[in-house]
Amino acid sequence: MPPTSTILTPELLARLERMELVSRKIFRGRMKGERRSPRKGQSVEFADFRNYVPGDDLRFVDWNTYARLEKLFLKMFLEEEDLHFYALIDASDSMAFGEPTKLQYATQLAASLGFIGLIRGDRVKIETLGQSARDAAPVFRGRRSLWRMLEHLEAVEPGESITMVEGVKNFCLRNSGRGIVVLIADLMEKTGYKDALKYLVSRDMDVYVIHLLSAEELDPDVEGDLRLIDCEDGDVAEITVSAPLLKRYKQTLAAFVDGARDFCNRRGIVYLMARNDVPVEDLITGFLRTRGLVR
Amino acid sequence: MWPNIANMLTWWQWSILAAVPPAIVLLYFLKLKRRPLEVPSTYLWHRSIEDLHVNSIWQRLRRNLLLFLQLLFLLLAALALLGLNWRGTELTGDRFVFLVDRSASMQATDVGTSRLDEAKRLVDEMIEEMESGDVAMIVSFDDTAKIEQAFTDNRRLLRRKLEGIEPSAHATSLLEALKVASGLVNPGFAGEDFQLTPDLLAELYVLSDGKFPAVTGFSLGNLRPTFISVGSPDAKNLGIVAFSVRRSESNPEVFQAFARLENFGGEDVSASIDLLLDKELIDADRMEIAAGETRGVAFDVGSVESGVLKLEIAAGDHLAIDDEAYLVVAPPEPANVLLVTPGNEPLEFALQTDSTAEIAELTVESPAFLKTKPYLAAAAAGLYDLIIYDRCRPETMPLANTLLIGSLPPTGGWSAGEAVDVPQIIDVEAGHPLLQWLEMGDVMLAAGTPLEVPPGGTVLIDTNEGPMAAVAPRERFEDMVIGFRIIDEIAGDDGKLQRYIGTNWMTRQSFPVFVLNLFNYLGGSRDALETGYVRPGKPVALKTLDANAKLRVRTPSGETLDLRSDELGNAAFTNTAELGVYQVQSGGQTQQQFAVNLCNAAESDIRPDPKPTIQIGYEEVAGAPARQSARKEAWKWLLLVGLLILLTEWYIYNRRVYL
Repeated sequence: MPPTSTILTPELLARLERMELVSRKIFRGRMKGERRSPRKGQSVEFADFRNYVPGDDLRFVDWNTYARLEKLFLKMFLEEEDLHFYALIDASDSMAFGEPTKLQYATQLAASLGFIGLIRGDRVKIETLGQSARDAAPVFRGRRSLWRMLEHLEAVEPGESITMVEGVKNFCLRNSGRGIVVLIADLMEKTGYKDALKYLVSRDMDVYVIHLLSAEELDPDVEGDLRLIDCEDGDVAEITVSAPLLKRYKQTLAAFVDGARDFCNRRGIVYLMARNDVPVEDLITGFLRTRGLVR
Repeated sequence: MWPNIANMLTWWQWSILAAVPPAIVLLYFLKLKRRPLEVPSTYLWHRSIEDLHVNSIWQRLRRNLLLFLQLLFLLLAALALLGLNWRGTELTGDRFVFLVDRSASMQATDVGTSRLDEAKRLVDEMIEEMESGDVAMIVSFDDTAKIEQAFTDNRRLLRRKLEGIEPSAHATSLLEALKVASGLVNPGFAGEDFQLTPDLLAELYVLSDGKFPAVTGFSLGNLRPTFISVGSPDAKNLGIVAFSVRRSESNPEVFQAFARLENFGGEDVSASIDLLLDKELIDADRMEIAAGETRGVAFDVGSVESGVLKLEIAAGDHLAIDDEAYLVVAPPEPANVLLVTPGNEPLEFALQTDSTAEIAELTVESPAFLKTKPYLAAAAAGLYDLIIYDRCRPETMPLANTLLIGSLPPTGGWSAGEAVDVPQIIDVEAGHPLLQWLEMGDVMLAAGTPLEVPPGGTVLIDTNEGPMAAVAPRERFEDMVIGFRIIDEIAGDDGKLQRYIGTNWMTRQSFPVFVLNLFNYLGGSRDALETGYVRPGKPVALKTLDANAKLRVRTPSGETLDLRSDELGNAAFTNTAELGVYQVQSGGQTQQQFAVNLCNAAESDIRPDPKPTIQIGYEEVAGAPARQSARKEAWKWLLLVGLLILLTEWYIYNRRVYL
């Protein structure tokens, strides 16, 4: 019986249990897991024969073949390994907006994906951009780690003030292994998000970007003469809301989203735009499934 | 028409009002203190307003739209309080009579599409200004008046009837219209004795160009007249005021057409004049006519048997209907001549030559015929053009020209003296058409009775004994009396009648010439000469040879009208409103044509008087500007617009609609 949490409901857990994470690349794992590995090893799945050389484990000699051919052959089996799954959450102040807040949504999404990884025996690591290079997050593995993972996620608070490039750099320094990394962020970075994504790509990771925007950002419900204050750097924009301005804002937003999608597609990053008013469950069972992250 | 201002507020009220706009501006800027709002990121907003900043002045204006609307509303409210007004017009009274002139001159196009349309427009405006409960009547008039609509308060009906007024080519007579209006407005009107009922006063509006004679012998009674002159002082018109065709003086074989053109404008005009015979151009001319001048124009038409002459002028003026005139040249009609004689071979012989047969149809009867019914009927009907009574006389003079030889008319004041022998001709009135080209010096008379010529008569042949031939008018006819006899029958000694020659005139050259003159002058035989024309609206007397004949008249526009002649073959056609040539058909054959021309200097003269007045009875009615001026208050409209602005402002504020 899975533990209950505010992040994951039992119903969601029940649905997620039937899923598994899919990587488009085959990586080496560290421990035996449920995935095929390029390494040959001990498993039930036969891979190949090779000639016996002195020193090989006699347990893997195919005695049946020896009996027929009087030659020693070694049976090789595919090694099954675990998958490295990283969820990287942007926990800046800007993620504290929306209902539910984008951060809540991001943690819920990360928890869901992490849970899928846990039940398939993958290595799950959930980190935030604000973590320093040395402050590594715990690794979760196995269904039993769910409770710990959720505890870890519930501890995530907004208010990290670090640029995305720095955050990604730190993440890359902390984690040398390869695997699937899902970046959940709003990409609203004045310094730009492109360098950050380039870092991730350069590590030869299977990168997913979930661009999370709140409904307020997508369709701002504002009116009158406003003084907009940026929650992260205190920057001010004075606007008088008018139909042309709103139209212009939407055009800019669309251009921004298109730009991000285009950037990701060119670099083999799977881009997905998510909005906080679509339930996480729908996102995973719907969009993420079609985009190939889960099945 | 500058607006006037009536101050309705005191100074301190004004100062309060003056303080309101700054207050609004102040409040607006206070309100404009922007509301802070924390957002996840200003990143997108900055990028959005970047290009909108480019035209920031317009942005600022747009941003302040609400402020402007509020200030505009305040301005309008202040204007309303200022009591802004302007001089407008207003219809006073509650009973109106509109007399709309539709005569020929109202077709002038110097104002709007035409003067009539302008007059209709003015009346329409006045109908528009009528207040509810006001009644109005519309009378259109030319030389007759027509009640288009009796008193009603139904404006739509009035407008429809007003729209239906058609222009005519008739002359103008205001009296008719005034009589009609007065008859409806002054109910007790009976001659000089009428009852003045003050509550029935009616405003009389005469819309005309004022081209009519003063109206005398009319009392306005309850009508309070206003004359609205329609027409522009710059109106120009060149019109045909007369058109006729005549035999050339020098060469009787050919005809000449004469026209008189008058320039009624203030500028000299150059006009091209075309003369067409049966729609074919036969002559053209061009002439300059100074302002206000009249000029005659003559064309040689040549010898014409029959046809329709049309004169056209093109001068680019404001009145088109007087730029055309028609004349019908009819084929010669033989005169119908009756000779009543006991027997007069020389006369009969002279009357029945080949050349007289062309111009006259002669019937010879004995004096007994004078008692018969056919004669009496024909004489009373005027079927004969000329009746020659030789040695006899009728009991009553017929409806015809007559020649009495050796007898006196029973009426008309003729008398004769004692018979004389061998009177000597001493003078002949050669200037008279009857005796023109006559040489009578070689004529001798055996006997005669000198005549006493009635007043108005002309002695034609005078002798030493007294007048032997004379002519005198009788109503529209003329009677010629010859005092001597051409052939006489005198009872001889044996009691038998013996014939004597009374004169040697028959053997002289002058006698057949006289007979020809007689037929031409008294026989009414016209050569192929114009039958004249009628004025529009005037009746035309048509004559047929058969009694109760069915006639069909085809108007210039192609309409056909049927009428029937009476027992005497007379018919009157009155529907001559159109200008042009009318054809009279009988049994499918065109019997007769006649022309209707404007040729009316009074109607062609479209210059309005510089000081338009009309004289009605003893009252002189000065031309008035369309209506009485009145102050039109603007505050209602200003407040209405202000209310609309407030609504707009409210809508924009609430719906966040921006331009």
